[in-house]
Amino acid sequence: MENVIDNQKESEALQQRRQQHDKAKRKRSRRMWLLIVPFLVLVVAFSYYPLFGWVYAFFDYEPPIPLRDSQFVGMQWFKMMVANSTQVRQLMQVLINTFAMSLLNIATSFFPLLFAIGLNEIRNKHFRNIIQTLTTLPNFISWVLVYSIAFAMFSTNGMVNDLLQNLNVIAAPIKFLDSDSLTWIKMLLWSTWKGLGWGSIIYLASISGIDQELYEAARVDGASRFQLIRYITIPALMPTFFVMLMLSVSNFLNNGMDQYFVFQNAFNQTHIQVLDLYVYNVGMGQNSLSYATAISMLKSLVSVALLWIVNIVSKKTRGASII
Amino acid sequence: MDKNSTLFKSVVSGIKKVAVVATVALASVALFACSSSSADNSSKKAEKDDGKLMTVTVYDDLANYQGLAKGWFAQYVQDKFNIKLKMVAPNVAGGGNTLFDTRTAAGNLGDLIITGTGHVNKLVKANLLTDMTPYLDGMKYIKKYDGATKAISDLADKKGTWGIASSVSSGSPTEASEGLEATTVPYIRWDLYKKIGYPTLNNTDDLLNALKEMQTEARKEEGKKDIYAISLFKDWDGASMQNAGQNLAFYGWEPTNYALAKGNGSKYESLIANNSQYVQGLEFLNKAQQMGLVDPESTTQNWDTMYAKYQAGKVLFSYWSFLGQGAYNTSANMAAGKGFELAPLKGMKVFSNGNMPDGNTTFIGIGSKAKNKARLVKFINWLYSPEGVQVQQAQSTGYSAGIKGLTWKMDGDQPVLTDFGKKALLEGGSVKMPAKYGSGTWKDGISTLNFVAVMQYDKDPTTGYKYGYVTWPSVLKINETKLSKDWSEHMGGATSTMDYLKKNNELLVAAGVSYTAPEDPATVATTRGSVQTQIVSSSWKMVMAKNDTEFKSLLTSMQKTVKGLGYDDVYKVDLKNSKAKNAARQKVIEQYKDEK
Repeated sequence: MENVIDNQKESEALQQRRQQHDKAKRKRSRRMWLLIVPFLVLVVAFSYYPLFGWVYAFFDYEPPIPLRDSQFVGMQWFKMMVANSTQVRQLMQVLINTFAMSLLNIATSFFPLLFAIGLNEIRNKHFRNIIQTLTTLPNFISWVLVYSIAFAMFSTNGMVNDLLQNLNVIAAPIKFLDSDSLTWIKMLLWSTWKGLGWGSIIYLASISGIDQELYEAARVDGASRFQLIRYITIPALMPTFFVMLMLSVSNFLNNGMDQYFVFQNAFNQTHIQVLDLYVYNVGMGQNSLSYATAISMLKSLVSVALLWIVNIVSKKTRGASII
Repeated sequence: MDKNSTLFKSVVSGIKKVAVVATVALASVALFACSSSSADNSSKKAEKDDGKLMTVTVYDDLANYQGLAKGWFAQYVQDKFNIKLKMVAPNVAGGGNTLFDTRTAAGNLGDLIITGTGHVNKLVKANLLTDMTPYLDGMKYIKKYDGATKAISDLADKKGTWGIASSVSSGSPTEASEGLEATTVPYIRWDLYKKIGYPTLNNTDDLLNALKEMQTEARKEEGKKDIYAISLFKDWDGASMQNAGQNLAFYGWEPTNYALAKGNGSKYESLIANNSQYVQGLEFLNKAQQMGLVDPESTTQNWDTMYAKYQAGKVLFSYWSFLGQGAYNTSANMAAGKGFELAPLKGMKVFSNGNMPDGNTTFIGIGSKAKNKARLVKFINWLYSPEGVQVQQAQSTGYSAGIKGLTWKMDGDQPVLTDFGKKALLEGGSVKMPAKYGSGTWKDGISTLNFVAVMQYDKDPTTGYKYGYVTWPSVLKINETKLSKDWSEHMGGATSTMDYLKKNNELLVAAGVSYTAPEDPATVATTRGSVQTQIVSSSWKMVMAKNDTEFKSLLTSMQKTVKGLGYDDVYKVDLKNSKAKNAARQKVIEQYKDEK
């Protein structure tokens, strides 16, 4: 009997404790939920709210006439995008430019890694600091200023042309900026010049995190400097490298527009117009905001297509999808 | 697992809640936006002026200065109206229509608005312009040019006085609106032309050969390598490459975007047609480029850089008097026999716009959000008054004479420039202003509005002479220099460019009409955008082409591309507008005959 009562008491106590436990859990999950609220708000405000702007693609919007007085035109602008082969060719060229420049950037994403290793090998600390500072600085210069530097150096009467002409190396100035030769490569060089030092910082941090004992042990075994780099530094940096690579792949279509905007001119327009710049030129330059909105929606379409492809590849190779 | 699922559930329910909150918030924002902008601002009642000093934001398509206006003109306006002018200038800001679009979309373009008449309809529809009707009592000069206010009212679908068109004139529409100099003719450095022995210029090829010799001569003389016969710039490119289109005017053509018309409407052609006058203009520049006559900086420089080159005598050819002569023909240079003068190119038929009684295609109006509208109407009235024309339309050279008593005065019954005026207007304008008129130099203080209210060759009722001081007998005498005498001797005794063109029957006056083309249908406007980008960039490439083969292949590919983009639809619209404009001209000519 006593035993039964004891059991009953025990189970009551147990239930009470469970209730308390549930309560605590609920409280905790509410706290957890509150923690993510700010981020949800940000996502809604900056990723979902702007999507309302897509509505402009279905109207004939022209400022100052407000949207509510604009005419609804349905799919007119989307039809126009593919209305004739020339238009389609132009859009394809824009997509090719976007892909090409993104691919070039990804293909050269190991530059900062090599640069960091090279920097790390410099023994003189002062010299190393100077190099690091000088290469990091360009990252903080806006593209507008980068262009004015480019203009001062490479325009038809810029420093380089003047120098070459005065040395009688060339007779007529070389057109570095206003020609369409090697536009992609030139753009890559500028973005590399600007971002190399900054991009290497994360690798320098990783290098300092490598266990020194590894190097010491290798040295005892008679490894040369190149062998140290080859068998210790590079393998240790690979995880960081792949994280950075993934991040740049996810930014595939967002290759920015300010760089291309400042460098564009009548001569290089065919190869410099990336998607973002094209949308800007159509919307702001050519005054067709609705059409530009329709084109910008293309970006989301391409992104979804890319995601889908990557997902298939992931399923095939790893057996698991990423979404 | 249990923990995770609870978290997951709470997140999901949270998302739902956030979504609901966000939707409500968005809806309320949208509603608020609607309700606030649907309030009607065009109240018919006149508002009272508080008389206080106010800063007026001026949205000005013509201005080349941005920010608070400084110098003598700003001071003059402040003393007279208690107004400070704050300029918003798309020309300075760049980016084409961006500034207009963003400001109008935000619901306030400016307190004073100077823009194209093509915008009137939209601005009125969006409630961005003020109806000036209740403020017009006693506004003598706005009423005087009622044709110019009516021209604007006709463009709006709503009754009211929404603005007044610029460049009005009391002259005959069948007479040229220019005074002494034509707007667009080939001007060359006459002193160098003299040095190479006044060769005959039968066609543009002869002109290029002469320029080549002149360039060699100038480089030898100055010992500088950076002197070029021709220098170009891209600031004014629109439907096409502006510079290349200038030689249209030599032969009496007028472009309406892509439809080219002979000034009298006798002939029409497409801008991109194989041998169109525009393509000939490109050929001319390309030939020059192949001969080494074109400044390699042409592709990158802006107006200011180029103007400085003209001032320094580093360019030898100019399409416009206000560029070549404006920059280089100072008293000192002219006295030394140096300066730009009309080249005696044979076979010209120079296009000239007739006087426009109802004004040009730019207008001035008042924004709907402006304060003290009565005062702004008074200001506009003043711009059209003789004093306003004299002061506001004074430039660093040419145009009006400036402030009476300072730069000019009456000598008996004749207007003459004062000593100060000569320094200000004939010698480059870097003379310091007297303290009474604010600080700075004359040329830095000229009106930032850059607005022509009344044509400068209209008669000033207060003096009995024209506003443009270059036509005053007293100034003609001063301007009779070694340069002008030599030019006149070789031009059959002509006294001015216009005189020469008239005497040789080389002038084609297109009757002055205020014609504003109707708005493009939406799809045409978008096609136009992509066509024009293509035409402008191809044109520049063609001018810089290395040889004729490259030029031809660029032309063919441009024609193919723009046709593919829908050029023909755009051309059709332009052709219709061009024909409508010329029909309006015909009407004006007949009307004027009847009145006579």
